[in-house]
Formats: sequence, C-alpha cells, structure tokens
Amino acid sequence: MPHVAADVLVSPLGARRVAVGDPSPVRHHRFVSDSKDKEPEVLFVGDSLVQLLHQFEIWRELFSPLHALNFGMGGDCTQHVLWRLQNGELDHINPKIIVLWVGTNNHGDTAEQVAEGIGAIVKLIHSKQPTARVLILGLLPRGKSPNALRVKNARVNQLVQEALPSLPGASFLDVDPGFVHSDGTISHHDMYDYLHLTRAGYATVCQPIHTRLLAMLEQHKI
Amino acid sequence: MSVGDSNPAAVPSPVQDVQGDDRWMSQHTRFVLECKDKEPDVLFVGDSMVQLLHQYEVWQELFSPLHALSFGIGGDTTSHVLWRLQNGELENITPKVVVVWVGTNNHEHTVEQIVGGIQAIVHLINTCQPQAKVVVLGLLPRGERPNPLREKNAEVNRVLRASLPRLGSVQFLDVGSGFVQSDGTISTHDMFDFLHLTPAGYAAIAKPLHDLLLQLLEETPEESRPILA
Repeated sequence: MPHVAADVLVSPLGARRVAVGDPSPVRHHRFVSDSKDKEPEVLFVGDSLVQLLHQFEIWRELFSPLHALNFGMGGDCTQHVLWRLQNGELDHINPKIIVLWVGTNNHGDTAEQVAEGIGAIVKLIHSKQPTARVLILGLLPRGKSPNALRVKNARVNQLVQEALPSLPGASFLDVDPGFVHSDGTISHHDMYDYLHLTRAGYATVCQPIHTRLLAMLEQHKI
Repeated sequence: MSVGDSNPAAVPSPVQDVQGDDRWMSQHTRFVLECKDKEPDVLFVGDSMVQLLHQYEVWQELFSPLHALSFGIGGDTTSHVLWRLQNGELENITPKVVVVWVGTNNHEHTVEQIVGGIQAIVHLINTCQPQAKVVVLGLLPRGERPNPLREKNAEVNRVLRASLPRLGSVQFLDVGSGFVQSDGTISTHDMFDFLHLTPAGYAAIAKPLHDLLLQLLEETPEESRPILA
C-alpha cells in the first residue's frame, strides 16, 4: 500500500520518533486536555511555524485577545496533524475558525500528495466541526537560494487553491509578503535558518492573518 | 594518543543536505562571513539551544551588549559543531570567551563518547584561540517526566564537571538545576516542547550565564590579546 500524505498512519508518532523519552505523544496529550478546559474561538494547528509563533510577544498582542489556542508541533507533516485531530484535539471544543499551517515538512511526499493531505485535514475538520471555517495558510518559501523545495511549496499552494471549491468551509491565505528578494535570496533577518521565522518575520506574516481573522469573526456574528 | 578515530562524537562531520534546500551549509557559510566582518568578545556555539536564544529579547538585553555572536544550528551534534569550528567559524576573530552548548542531540552516542566530543571541541578552541576562556554549559534535562535521556544528560554533566578543569582555562556551568519540579515534571512554561526553552526558561538561565561572562570578561586584561599579524 503506497504511503500517502492523507493516510492516517497506524502509529505515526512511533514510526517517526526514535529517541526514548520524546516529548511528542505527551505534547499531544496536553493539547487534548487543553481542549477539555479551554473554549477557544480560534485554533491554530500545524507544525513548528505554528508552535514557535506561540513563543513570541506577537501571539499575546494579536491572537490571545481572539481567544486562540495553539496546537503546533515541530516537525509535523500532514499525516501527524490528521492523526492528532482525529485523536482528541478537536473534541470538547467549538472554535469558529481553525487556522491550518502544515506541509513544509512532508519531505517524503509529492506536492500533489501534500495538497491531498491538507484537503484530508479540511474534510476531517468539517466532519467533526461542521460550523467551523478553516483558514489554510500558504506554505512559505525556504532555503537561502532558489531550490526545489521552493518550487514544491509553491505548487502545493497552487493545488490547494485550485481544490478550494471542493473543500467545505475553507479559504486560503498567502502570507508570504515577498520574503524572496530580487536576487533570489531569503534573508536571515526574516528566517534565521532559512525556514523558521524571526520575530521580524512573524511580525510581517501575522498582520494579514490577524486582519483576515478579524474579518472572519465579524462575518460570523451576522 | 588520539581517541578521535574511535569516537564518532569527536569526528568532525558536516550535515548532508537531504531535504533539498541546503540550509545547514547556508547557515555555516553565513557564520564564516560574520567572522570576517565582526569582532566578537563572546562567541556562542552549539545547537538549537544557542540558536533559539538568539531569537528572544533576552539576547538583545544581556548578550548583544557584550559584543556576542551566536553560531548555533538546530539539530547539531558534537561532530557537526567540531566540523564548523574547524572550517572557518573560529577564523579572523579573537573572542575573549567562547560558550559551548551542545550534546543533547547526540542520540547515537554514549555518555563517554559525548563527553569526548565536547572535550575535542574544547581542545580545538584552546588550540585555535589560546587567549579565549571556554565556558561549557551543562545539558538540560528534557521530557515532561523522568526518562532515560534525562539520566544520560545528567551523567554527561557529571563527567564533564569532573574532567573539564584539567583542560586549561575551561569552566563548566550547569544552568539546568531549576527545571525539574518536585513532582519530577518539567513545565511547558519553561520548555514549550519539553526540550526547547521558552523566553521565561531562557530568562532563568541567562542570569547566571551573564554574571559569569561579566566576571570572565573583566578578568581578561587587554594586554594579553595576541597581536594580529
């Protein structure tokens, strides 16, 4: 059976993690218990780009006031997010908006498979939370200089946007402000390792997210 | 006698680009360039513990003013740091202090091998930067609950503490003692994923480190700086 980014792996956490005492299953349990205690209006779910956002002041400034919860986990691929959402992280909560940012770590999958994986997550969310809307964030470019992963991430974004009519309750937001300069390089002032955002990088990316969330929450009131 | 050949943790090796965007080498290249432009008094080198420190405000507040540079790359083991230091990251600079923080990612290596790797790094710094004092930071505990990696890291620290003073002007500083709570757990307020520090976690370790750096920087007389050819 070929590996597909949209499949739920039987033991995704065990298959990927090698080190004993690894934090990821525990972090998942913490998210599940958070979902029992808290009543978020906005849920952010995804990989390290979501997880690290939570560590910067900008989270408290822009997203805490929207009653947002952060279920980001570094290293996660679409399969891992799918598994987490199927196994408790969507239970007991009723967010109005789910912000989904995942796909850049799917190194074993083609752009088509990654886009399908994102689609599978959207469909799962819709089945568990039919009134929630999903805001899919575009994958960012990466690497200091032009490379195949930039091409792949851009293709994923294109495929996801094309699939939107078939993805219930979903919309797409491209949050790349133009990180790639005219010489083709990405600056370490925006991405300190040409993948993860600096504080300045997050400041640029979070403005459009915040603006969109406010608009979506405003619409929801009607 | 050289144990380098038989200790994989002390064999310098670069990270291969398997993902396809060559980020490790891009970061290393940038660090080598920084050595040409800048004159740090303090150099931090290591893994994501060093890398992430540079992203938080505490760096601007406490370490930037000391003219510090940060050469951390997430995921690095002792072998990777050794390679980077041998391939340009110690050239064109004469720091007064070098802070070394690496070892928690050496999953394939034993306690003895990791200690040997850190010792090899210290030895290299002593050779290339004889004027520099070296501060080796202890490995932090990790994981939400007691687990084998905590024991391993603690054992590395125990051996380092005992063996480092014999290697010249080297100090061992353990900044991890406050993280494990009385019930044996580590809080996400300190380590958001039970491995990487939050800003609050860094604030706690930055104070003792900053104090030590101030002390070491005061001790170094200007006269002892080598004259550059």
